[in-house]
Amino acid sequence: MKHRLITRKQLNELLDRLAQEVCLYAPVRDKTGTSWAEIRRADEACLDEVNTVEPAKGFVFPRCEVLLRFDPQGNPVEPEPPPQQVVFGIRPCDARGIAFLVKFYTQEGRTDPYVRARREKTTLIGVACTRTAPTCFCLGVGGSPQGSEGLDLLLVELGEELLAEPVTEKGERLVADLPPAEEKHLTAAEEQRKKVEAEISLRIDTRKLQELLPGLYDTPLWQTLALTCVNCGACTFLCPTCHCFDVTDETVRGRTVRCRVWDSCQFALYSRHASGHNPRHDPASRYRNRIMDKFYYTVEQAGMVSCVGCGRCIISCPAGIDIRQTVGTVQNSKCKLKNEK
Amino acid sequence: MDRSEKLRQRARELLEKGEVVMVIGSGPPSDSGISPVLFATTPEQAENLTASTSCAQNLANYLLKVRDRGKVAVVARGCDARSITVLLQENQLKRENLYILGIGCEGIVENGRKSVACAVCRHPNPLIYDEMIGEPAAVAEPDPEVSRADAEWEQLSPDERWERLSAELDRCIRCYACRQVCPNCYCPVCFVDASMPQLVGRTHNLSDNMVYHIIRALHMAGRCVECGACHRACPVGIDLMRFNRRVAKTVRERFGGDAGTDLSQPPALTVFKPDDPQEFIR
Repeated sequence: MKHRLITRKQLNELLDRLAQEVCLYAPVRDKTGTSWAEIRRADEACLDEVNTVEPAKGFVFPRCEVLLRFDPQGNPVEPEPPPQQVVFGIRPCDARGIAFLVKFYTQEGRTDPYVRARREKTTLIGVACTRTAPTCFCLGVGGSPQGSEGLDLLLVELGEELLAEPVTEKGERLVADLPPAEEKHLTAAEEQRKKVEAEISLRIDTRKLQELLPGLYDTPLWQTLALTCVNCGACTFLCPTCHCFDVTDETVRGRTVRCRVWDSCQFALYSRHASGHNPRHDPASRYRNRIMDKFYYTVEQAGMVSCVGCGRCIISCPAGIDIRQTVGTVQNSKCKLKNEK
Repeated sequence: MDRSEKLRQRARELLEKGEVVMVIGSGPPSDSGISPVLFATTPEQAENLTASTSCAQNLANYLLKVRDRGKVAVVARGCDARSITVLLQENQLKRENLYILGIGCEGIVENGRKSVACAVCRHPNPLIYDEMIGEPAAVAEPDPEVSRADAEWEQLSPDERWERLSAELDRCIRCYACRQVCPNCYCPVCFVDASMPQLVGRTHNLSDNMVYHIIRALHMAGRCVECGACHRACPVGIDLMRFNRRVAKTVRERFGGDAGTDLSQPPALTVFKPDDPQEFIR
């Protein structure tokens, strides 16, 4: 698909039109930064922040997904189908998060109809990063500030114009009428990518981690690492790829709903059995699970590391835990073990 | 010798002599600007301790995690020491298992501004300690902006307050970071985690968010030391200190005193005195 060129004015017109036709979501300014909200006009969108406080995963995997509804007489009522929605301003790391969720939840023989239905009705318009935060490390886990994975359309800001890269048919349809981009625009975007990528120094050798982690399951290292962790769920709830849920029934004024709600492996309740036994009874085993899951389990399950390097877990951690340091410690500890042998 | 150097020296000595098994303090700040908690069990590890007061955590929280390990030294600012006092009053810690290295606190700075809890801090210096490292800090004038905002809040009608409270708490994602960082929120099973019977719904809705926050505020009445750890921990920026200040004010006005400032006085809501104000019981 051809790269196109879109002016800011044309983009605003496109967004204004989309807002009339479907639910249009974008980052909007709030007191803590920017958050996802439905917008009616293009100028409500705010791309000033490096990223939103909360990730965009809720568009395909909402915090509360109604699975079943019953009326007061106990008759089942079909839940409403998900709405047609367009998400504008999603960053490449968050789009990769959605790509992961879709991949994880739409596998051969175990496809989740809810995630699939939502993704089918969603159009993702990404905007490439023009700057980074000190906590960004998408490059370290295989992403890029201009990555298009998971998106329908990627926009790269080049002053008053934007380079539009359609990724899917859906994205192509949005920009089909626009003029093709010229070589100079592609070069400018490439230069911008190099400039932004240069700001991100960290690399994580995810393949090496994948080899190391199974052998590290029983090391006392986790006890040491987990000491700082307070076992809240901030990192998992703000993670673009964390995908665990619980199913709960609630009755409000005679109407019962069965919902799928986000859950967190960092909570003791998450793994507690009905018998009272808890296989992850201590904070260290829950801390270990998060790292194992991100860099080992999901690679086995879905063929993809489930960390996109957005840095939200670092920003949100009340204890100041930095996943990059954790990974570094884990990698080095094994090296020591090897040398000792 | 600067304060950090003195702290490191004392920490090394305590560990070398085997007087304590661990020193809990603050390490160098990470990229998010927060200084993670440092657990030094060897003199070498103590080299990374800093006496900076930029650690967003209330260090008393970690004493509960290691309370079965033997005697532990902890670096304590005014609020950390007040939490320790509450934990001692509630028999959660043993005084003889603690060695308190007191430091005067200049306040925690977040994103270039003094944390809102520290902006109106009345007790920057520890009231219990085994030794002070460096000079005590001066009690700063309370930030007039915070006092003004509180006064404005008081002027609102109950309906307006409820509306603002609802708007604030509607954003809660129930990650329970506020609960987890609070040293005085230590129930083995929190009421929100009870499942037989389930007391609080698990979906994201205002009603359950309210139940969580209001019950927590009441549980903390007379026990909250206003350290602001919960406020700083909140990933979505809920103004928890507004509620904490309000609850603390009520306790102060009705029962006198600030939580954790007097080891000999049990927390206000754990005792009954015949002269307690009780005009609301008719």
